Amino acid sequence: MGGVLKIVLVVAGLLFVGTAVAYAQLPEPRAHEFPYLGNRGAVWIVAQLHILFAAFILGAPIFVVVSEILGWKNQDVRYERLAKEVTKVTVILYSMTALTGGLFIFVLLATYPQLTAWLINHFFAVFAVMYPLLFIFETIVLYLYWYTWEALQGPKKLRHIALGVLLNIIGLATLIVIDGPTAFMNTPAKFAEGGMDLRTFIETTATLWDKMNNYSWWPLNIHRTVGNVVFGGFITGLIGAYLYLAAKNDEERAFYDWFGFVGNLIGVGALLALPFAGYLLAYELCDYDASICPYMMADQLSMFFEMQGAMVGLIFLASNYYIWLSMKRIEGLEQIRMRTTTLVLMASIPVVFMLIWTKFPIPDKFALILPALWVALFLIAGRFLKWTVGAQTLVKVAFLMVIIGNAIWMTPHAFVATQALAPDDGSLSLPHGELSLGFVTISWGDLALMPAKNAAAFTLVFVTVVNYILYNRALRRGRIVWGKIDFAAQFVLVFLAFSAIWTMTLMGAVRELTRKYFHVFNLQYDFTPESFTPTLAYSSWVFTGVTLTFYIIISFAIVLTLRTGKEKAHAEAPKGMPAVAGAE
Amino acid sequence: MEAQRSFIGVIVKRGFQGIVAAVVLWLVTRYLFHFPPVFQVMFVLYAFLGTGVFILLDAPSLSPVSGFKAVALLVGFYVVISLVFIAGASALPQYDPMVEKGKIEKIVKPKLAATEKGKIDELRKRTEELDAESQAILKRLEALGGEKAKKIEASIGGPTAGAAPRAVGGNLVALGKEQYDLQECYNCHKIGGKGSVKKRGPVLDNIGNLMKPEEMKEKLLNPRAWMAEGFEKEYNKKLMPDKYKELMSDQEIDELVAFLSTLKDTSVQTPKPIKKL
Repeated sequence: MGGVLKIVLVVAGLLFVGTAVAYAQLPEPRAHEFPYLGNRGAVWIVAQLHILFAAFILGAPIFVVVSEILGWKNQDVRYERLAKEVTKVTVILYSMTALTGGLFIFVLLATYPQLTAWLINHFFAVFAVMYPLLFIFETIVLYLYWYTWEALQGPKKLRHIALGVLLNIIGLATLIVIDGPTAFMNTPAKFAEGGMDLRTFIETTATLWDKMNNYSWWPLNIHRTVGNVVFGGFITGLIGAYLYLAAKNDEERAFYDWFGFVGNLIGVGALLALPFAGYLLAYELCDYDASICPYMMADQLSMFFEMQGAMVGLIFLASNYYIWLSMKRIEGLEQIRMRTTTLVLMASIPVVFMLIWTKFPIPDKFALILPALWVALFLIAGRFLKWTVGAQTLVKVAFLMVIIGNAIWMTPHAFVATQALAPDDGSLSLPHGELSLGFVTISWGDLALMPAKNAAAFTLVFVTVVNYILYNRALRRGRIVWGKIDFAAQFVLVFLAFSAIWTMTLMGAVRELTRKYFHVFNLQYDFTPESFTPTLAYSSWVFTGVTLTFYIIISFAIVLTLRTGKEKAHAEAPKGMPAVAGAE
Repeated sequence: MEAQRSFIGVIVKRGFQGIVAAVVLWLVTRYLFHFPPVFQVMFVLYAFLGTGVFILLDAPSLSPVSGFKAVALLVGFYVVISLVFIAGASALPQYDPMVEKGKIEKIVKPKLAATEKGKIDELRKRTEELDAESQAILKRLEALGGEKAKKIEASIGGPTAGAAPRAVGGNLVALGKEQYDLQECYNCHKIGGKGSVKKRGPVLDNIGNLMKPEEMKEKLLNPRAWMAEGFEKEYNKKLMPDKYKELMSDQEIDELVAFLSTLKDTSVQTPKPIKKL
């Protein structure tokens, strides 16, 4: 019965899309006013909700298949059970993705009919053929993957894994296809053929490929793929936390402790690559049109980036705190030591890398060679200098470095909403009469530039890697009891998922807002009264509202699918007894 | 009880260390590095954040709760973090949308008027206005009659035609300055020390002495045509957007050129333009 409902929801979503495509062909579709929220607010909320569901259903299957393979290879039932439980939630959320997707295009068409019609006409093959076909194909494979789980066991296991791989390939193709029009809205083709102006080129001779293959398409594909894995990992952590809180016995607690740990590991693992994927996207946006860069970093959106810095800092602090809580329950941790050179290297990175990247900006070859030499120097020195420090000392210095790194990330030229006309002398007069809170003096201005931000990002990543190496060492040499983690760790997992979703909505808004008063940058003006940049304060209400709505739906999905079906689960849970950690 | 007492000891110890760190940071950023006050506050807040983190690192394990208590704790936790995030975002300086609205009005309105829809909307609006006006006049004529009616009739013949010409004489330069702001040229260029923080485009203080108006126009319409000396890297990266010929009308370009031609401050070193194409 549940399966039928899910299929009905998916079909309803597809019908929405189909009807919308047909409606867009009408000669003069009329715009409607959305009550209370306004047209922009309505589209913003529905689109963001759809993207959040889509991010999970595209990100989760990536590590579900990896987990299934690990379970099959190592004959570890925990991985198999994790894969199965996450897939169960994915199936429910898949229907929600289809439904919100359909709703999104419906709301878009009702509120911005001209733009929607224009987009559908330019990407007709994408919206009317490729995307629905991929979606139907993906639906079939997802349900096949889910409903054949029991049947394709034992010697047929590889067939099931192959289905999972196919599901990921189709999911990735769907993402790539729909990213084309999305990226096009930010960066339509830059160079028109034959000296034609851009508008004429797009309206007349440009092929679908000319429009799809734009500046930010691949950076967006990469950024979203990595972001989806981060998202899927943290939501898995959230599932683990919820079910740990609801666990009735030690066996369940042991399993969901481990479950949450793996989710966090996936989330953090992919998170390490995310700042660099984001940097690539920002780089391409700026390369497309240099005016986008100051608008993002120094003008109307500069404080959005300030908030992003705060959120990234909190996420790294929380994920490292979770590692710390996981490590604290390992017996024998006090005997684990690391080279002092690692500690010195960690402490030196923000300053040394900032100086290197200021002198040799990325992508200069020395921007890569010199940092690599610096790290190698300490690795070699570590071979000869035998001084060591205890795990606890190293972790505390690591936390200190996360805080310092984040402070550097957060240091702007000025705490002003726009510094576009900042005078050379750093005086406080500002063009638009907004309240100025001072500029860093020129001598410390480097702290506010990209080399410093890159060094800070690298510090956060490096510290987290060192913490995981330390954790891994402790796991191999000590004893761990799954299920006995500090209760606070579950709240850290909840916090990580919440912050990741909030940050995703924040950065999604930034990407959309870089189009300024255009629907399609430089091509389609936004003539509506809502084409201005909203304030960060107003936006934060929207981010929080969307995050909470998503949380409520996903919480119901977790409770409904996993708690109610728990009695049916027959996979064997690991025992809650102490085990030699390295023996796994 | 013992663990509780020792944790209180940790809070006191870390709290003291945090206060010392905050005071040191405040003194250093104020007197040694001369950061503005808001940055001093930021660094002090980081000292407190660090204190909180280090207290958490040494905190004893939290006692597990379940059932309704766990749900209530979770809901409370969501409320707290939601409010903290909203408060954090609201505490940062906010850009006033009215500033941008004014700018958008000036840029977007003429573009809307130029579209078919814009023209139809404008005609419809004008027709409705004229209709209302004529109805009002008819009513007044009926009420008054005679000499008074003639006077009224004369008074309505006048200023219903189009808007005044966009620029007259010196206004051209002022309108050009407005275009400079509207197109946000200051994001890459500097005039009078105000503008781009990063080196993206050359300062323009003396550009009026270095380029003729038609050369400036050529550069705006085709950024590849000219390069500023010392900006080879930026030129090769095609930093100057090739979009103004599409986004600006001929009149707006002329206004901008008129403004740039007035920039003749020889005391500011302005990079020499080099003809490329």
